[in-house]
Amino acid sequence: MDSLRIVPARETKPATTQDTSNSFGLHDTLQYGPRSLAAEVTTSSKIKDRLENWEATQDNLKLQMHRQVFGLHMPMRLLMERKLASHNPHMPVLPQSQSNLHLDILMGRDETLECADFMMPVSEMRQPLDIHADMEKKLRM
Amino acid sequence: MATASVYKGAGFDFSNEVRNTFLTERGIPLPKATSTGTTIVGCLFKDGIILGADTRATEGPIVADKNCEKIHYITDNIRCCGAGTAADTEFTTALISSNMELHALSTGRKPRVVTAMTMLKQMLFRYQGHVGAALVLGGVDATGPQLFTIHPHGSTDKLPYVTMGSGSLAAMAVFEAQWRPNMERADALDLVCAAISAGIFNDLGSGSNVDACVITASHTEMLRNFVKPNERVQKERSYQFRRGTTAVKKEEIRSLIVDEDITHLTGRGAAEGEAMDTS
Repeated sequence: MDSLRIVPARETKPATTQDTSNSFGLHDTLQYGPRSLAAEVTTSSKIKDRLENWEATQDNLKLQMHRQVFGLHMPMRLLMERKLASHNPHMPVLPQSQSNLHLDILMGRDETLECADFMMPVSEMRQPLDIHADMEKKLRM
Repeated sequence: MATASVYKGAGFDFSNEVRNTFLTERGIPLPKATSTGTTIVGCLFKDGIILGADTRATEGPIVADKNCEKIHYITDNIRCCGAGTAADTEFTTALISSNMELHALSTGRKPRVVTAMTMLKQMLFRYQGHVGAALVLGGVDATGPQLFTIHPHGSTDKLPYVTMGSGSLAAMAVFEAQWRPNMERADALDLVCAAISAGIFNDLGSGSNVDACVITASHTEMLRNFVKPNERVQKERSYQFRRGTTAVKKEEIRSLIVDEDITHLTGRGAAEGEAMDTS
């Protein structure tokens, strides 16, 4: 894991049913609709993987360089501060209203604008059942 | 989600990816994004930079906009011409303009052209060329006049005279024949107009008028529609019908005025009317 990659690698993450599983452990068709794992695994979208892993890869590069130059304590402290700043004890709320200025400052994006800041599609009415499911997931872990 | 990610995310929704792959495997092609033909140029002269562009936006074989603006504002002393997909160039330059303003407020200094160039090239490289924006970026900052060209995949060049777009070869031919260093403003402006006109007349994707922008150390002058070589000819005959050409057969007038009678009870009526009872 000592890589200094600037650009995300080409491998794709395997698809799992864990993110759409219901209380029985199977894929929840009622909530998420039909799903085909075979189709998802064979679909390779280079631009999607690149964009979704971009920030994580760049972040990894910086933390790895910090580790090599300053020692293990440096990335450890930075990650600890981020974890403290992103801790949210409240009930899960719709993501569009959550803004964490402290986290933005720690991640270095308090003075820049990205596509994600103004181009996110407006999510209309979310089902109220989502809150219960999120609370269940949150408290059970 | 158990722990929310600290990252912002791509900003795009890829949930149609599986469906699109399925359709393309069955032989149904994805719709192609229309790219606009353009001629954009930039050149260095004695006092600064002159940028030029044509004003036609095309949608395949149809002219979508006869007088569009292709020279976008980045900061007061930096401008950017955009070729390629029109929406991509507009949004990219607007985004970089906002980021440059935030950066200038943060550093407290006048913004530099290399900053805009670096922001643009890093963003375009991240999108691997899917953002179809070919840009000519020019400006005068504390280090002097700078002129850059940025291709859709993120590669950049720093040159004294550049052309981009479908009419770039026609315009570059004019530049190669007549550009020389340290030209005067009038000569440089004539050269830029000649290059854009070469693109307008020899390339189907470029047309209409010539826009120019002169950037010097002291101020920036935007010359919108500087040359109009394609003015529409006035119609030779008048196609207005003379009054009385068709006879009036029936006339019916309906009044839409509603009659209102306003009676003032307070104010003027207070002297003769009753005073308010406040006991």
